[in-house]
Amino acid sequence: MEMLTAAASVHTPAPSGDELLAEARAGSDNAFAALVREHQAMVFGLAYHFLQSRAQAEELAQDVFLALHQNLARVESARHLVFWLRRVTSNRCIDSVRSVQRRRELPIDELHEPAVPARVSDPLLGELLRTLVAELTPDARMVVTLRFQEDLDLSEIAAITDMPVNTVKSHLRRSMDALRRKLADRGHVYES
Amino acid sequence: MSLEQELRRALRRTDPASGFDDRVLSRIAAGDTVRVLQTQSRWARFSLPIAASLMLAAGAGYYAQYQQQQQTAARAQQAYAERAAREVVLALQIASETVSAAQAKVEEITRYEPTNDY
Repeated sequence: MEMLTAAASVHTPAPSGDELLAEARAGSDNAFAALVREHQAMVFGLAYHFLQSRAQAEELAQDVFLALHQNLARVESARHLVFWLRRVTSNRCIDSVRSVQRRRELPIDELHEPAVPARVSDPLLGELLRTLVAELTPDARMVVTLRFQEDLDLSEIAAITDMPVNTVKSHLRRSMDALRRKLADRGHVYES
Repeated sequence: MSLEQELRRALRRTDPASGFDDRVLSRIAAGDTVRVLQTQSRWARFSLPIAASLMLAAGAGYYAQYQQQQQTAARAQQAYAERAAREVVLALQIASETVSAAQAKVEEITRYEPTNDY
């Protein structure tokens, strides 16, 4: 009998996102914790790539999930949950930079050259890319992060950031041009 | 590898330090809350500038209409003054012609009037 129960528990499918959401709304801490684990890499990643600080990203990501807990009743489905988390994370990231004015915003053409060797290996290239992305203006930075971390198309990014699609397109094009130019100065030539 | 692929590698999803879910649940258990940002819709964000622009446009329109009315009134007044001036000139011309005719008549009568000089 115990073996049967064990076998049944092994074959019990994991609850879907919608089921987890329903359980969390009903007050299950376990279900809410499962939702946090499922989406923490997305939320923390967006915040980390935007803020370039693990400590600030941790605080912001925790705030996002606290806000989710306060607003669970307003989240309609698992799909809506992903949209909601991306949108709230995006808004909080941009808001944190604008309100604190932590860094001076530079026009995209005035980005300073990071102090890295001319020829860099792949890990350093990744670091160089993150540094260059982190110095874009907040809106452009969030567009680039959503595009390449979350692999979203322009209309999805527009819906999350509440920008017109053409503005998103313009941010992306100008950011990519600037990144190509800066990388070419360092010996990394990429075709557009 | 293309730049897009390099960016996907550089900006891939990143996990926080382990125990993140526990830290979130601890804050919830402690009754910690966060300020929920009031995300404005695009309409709400642009409604104030749009309203200001409409008011400005309405004010400018009203002012233009007022100016036009003033100009129309000024033109009407000017036309009235010009007509009055023309009428005065005409009256003076008529008066002048009448006086000239009278003067000519007087001169004619005077020329043929017998005198008592002889």
